Amino acid sequence: MSSAAASGDAAARPPLLELSDVVKRYGPVTALAHGSLRCEAGSIHAVMGENGAGKSTLIKIVSGVVAPTEGEMRLDGAPVRFRSPLDAQKRGIVCVFQELSLLPDLSVADNIGITAPPRRFGLIDRRAQVRQAERWLAEIGCDGIDPRERVRDLPLSRRQMVEIAKALRHRPRLLILDEATSALTADDVERVVVLLHRLRAEGMAILYISHRMHEIRKLADTCSVYANGRHVETFAHGTRSEAEIVRMMIGRELSQMFPPRPPRPIEAAAPVLEARALTWEDRLRGVSLSVAPGEIVGLGGLDGQGQREFLLALFGCLSGLGGEIRVDGTPASFRGPSEAMAEPARLALIPEDRKTEGLMQPMTVAENLSAATLRSWCRGPFLNNVHERRAVEEIVRRMQIKAVLDLPVSTLSGGNQQKVAIGKWLLAAPRVLLLCDPTRGIDVGTKQEIYRLLRELAAGGTAVLLHTTDYDELIGLCDRVAIFYAGRINRLLEGDAITEEAIIAAALDIGAERERAA
Amino acid sequence: MSVPAAMPQRPRLQDRVRVLLHRLDPPLVVASACILAILFGGSLYNSSFLSPHYLLQQLQVASFLGIVATGAMLVILLGHIDLSVPWTLATGAMLATGLAGSTLGGIASIPIALAVGAAIGLVNGLGVTVLRIPSMIFTLGVNAVLQGLMVLYTGGSAPPSSAAPIVRWMSDGQLLPGIPNAILVWAAVGAFAAVLLRATPFGRTVYAIGNRERAAYLSGMKVRRVVCLSFVLAGSASALAGLLLTGYAGKAFQGMGDTYLLPAIAAVVLGGTSIVGGRGSYAGTIIGTILIVLLQSMLAVMQMPDAGRQIIYGAVIFAMLLLYGRGRSGQA
Repeated sequence: MSSAAASGDAAARPPLLELSDVVKRYGPVTALAHGSLRCEAGSIHAVMGENGAGKSTLIKIVSGVVAPTEGEMRLDGAPVRFRSPLDAQKRGIVCVFQELSLLPDLSVADNIGITAPPRRFGLIDRRAQVRQAERWLAEIGCDGIDPRERVRDLPLSRRQMVEIAKALRHRPRLLILDEATSALTADDVERVVVLLHRLRAEGMAILYISHRMHEIRKLADTCSVYANGRHVETFAHGTRSEAEIVRMMIGRELSQMFPPRPPRPIEAAAPVLEARALTWEDRLRGVSLSVAPGEIVGLGGLDGQGQREFLLALFGCLSGLGGEIRVDGTPASFRGPSEAMAEPARLALIPEDRKTEGLMQPMTVAENLSAATLRSWCRGPFLNNVHERRAVEEIVRRMQIKAVLDLPVSTLSGGNQQKVAIGKWLLAAPRVLLLCDPTRGIDVGTKQEIYRLLRELAAGGTAVLLHTTDYDELIGLCDRVAIFYAGRINRLLEGDAITEEAIIAAALDIGAERERAA
Repeated sequence: MSVPAAMPQRPRLQDRVRVLLHRLDPPLVVASACILAILFGGSLYNSSFLSPHYLLQQLQVASFLGIVATGAMLVILLGHIDLSVPWTLATGAMLATGLAGSTLGGIASIPIALAVGAAIGLVNGLGVTVLRIPSMIFTLGVNAVLQGLMVLYTGGSAPPSSAAPIVRWMSDGQLLPGIPNAILVWAAVGAFAAVLLRATPFGRTVYAIGNRERAAYLSGMKVRRVVCLSFVLAGSASALAGLLLTGYAGKAFQGMGDTYLLPAIAAVVLGGTSIVGGRGSYAGTIIGTILIVLLQSMLAVMQMPDAGRQIIYGAVIFAMLLLYGRGRSGQA
């Protein structure tokens, strides 16, 4: 096997690229605490880790997007520092990013040739450019794509293939695929596997980041696991079991920061909100879930598996929704948030991004807090300032928001901003509270306050649906957890079954893999 | 968390100063100072510049622009723009004078003008919210269509019928001795707008949409309805200004609205309203309107040739906006 050959060579000459103890900090936040990596020519190296483990930062450093704060990077044994992605590209390191870098309104050929189009008399030679694009598309087994077509008109999977062709055009020595297969159809994944095997045989080094275990199983020669911004272990593929890999990815203590969970009632209350086989475009593929008063149901899984869309669908924000939503057992359909928040459902949604969705940043704290409930502060057609003020002050006291009410909400810290985003909905006394990653980027103290608040609300009879990317919250806070995978609920965990192992396995679809293999 | 109970009761002095500084609107101060400077400079040039007669006359001229600017401000606060002002104004004026008849001094012309303006505004609003066409394009198209329709309606010349007596009275008559009624109409429109913006859920929603439409939508605000209604009000304001202008000029005429679009936008922006929406007070729009009218008037009185007048006019607007930009950058 080539991994054996590569490691044999490694003793003789330095690896193509080596990172030792690389650190990256953004201000006070450490994104990567300890990054180590060795990439050998003629070998496929897989990097694994959950969301926020530091993989993306590692890739950004290697491909020259960001510079490391500390640590050393050596190319062919010589220390190196990339000034820009172009600089890295010139030295043979090319990255295919997860978010597409193609320009949708240009043709496939334009995109492939974008940085150095073939020229004649100083002008772009279109015909040569098309020929060149055809050659590279054939190279990756995608002769079917017409180079003259606009990228916008291609399906997502084909666009991703164009992206790979574009990267290969630079004839890289090290090719980085950052979740590049997550948007591919099964056919295209097969093509990529064949292509990568060939490139490896030609001596290219490949760095492969993916959440899909079965692809890693097919491709990887070497695996590195990251957790909490640290390199945990690097091992030859096949020397560790999947269970061991999952345990490496956890590597973290579950702290005592969650309020105690009340005992589950023997007889479950009737659900207040129920989704039946919700479908929307290709993001939701039949999601069924119900939530009863008094319980906190967590929505877990990797980023972008449909959790966010599910909450938006419940809140009436998505048009063209399939399936059924029931409130107290009666079918309901919401044409927008204003209907979803009205009786009888009284839903509330704390959106993902408090900067652009949750708050009107330049408006004052008081104006933001009363924004969802303006009608209830009116006397006749006019706003009753006294009434409004009293309610706002009450919620500020209850949630302990540290704020000057008449200053813009943008003057507050992230944690207090999030409290305002939640507080404005508490004023509406919702029956069902939908939260989209409410603790992202806020300090530990505020997190704890939010956990306590959610538990209190549940105890008071509110139904809570909580989407979070933090596994600790799923385990410590939630009564039931639905793990999303590719637009479906992959597994529904309850009580003691909510463990980190079970969550990660379901999020990576490992269990299902095993069953299919068996 | 550390001071849970004592915290929100009495605002600290330091916080009160911060709030005061936040509420203090630099554009309002700068524009007011500019008005005083113009009056002072004008009085040095010609002492009649400060006479009540001259000032009231300026206010009367300002009231047409002020009413148009009121509508423009509402739309600009949303982060949109209404470029159909010229022909909404002319269409409202022409149809009102043409269709009103003479019952009770032609009183029907008032509801006709308002209804025409509202209808045009509704078309604008629906185009922006339902068809989702950018307002800059859509209202420009509506303006062109209106122009064509009015050329058809009048046969390309000024409509023969002249302003009804009641319209003349509304514009030029004096309910209070010495004060042209147009100023009172502007005051009424302004009071309505100020209350609407400051003291109703509608007004709060307008600001919220201008600041962040998505956040407003996710807060359960009825974004489409408010945007539509704002365009309706803006259309009505333009048509009302057109009606008053016929009373002032005696009749409606082609191109009567052409000189109102850009000065109205300038007045709104000079008054401190953010051109991208979400910020601005009605007091600012009043000040901005007066500033524009006085500036134009003073340049005319000084018998500046037209070319020089345009250059100075443009330069003043530039200079003031630059000034605002500096005061504001810290908060944006």
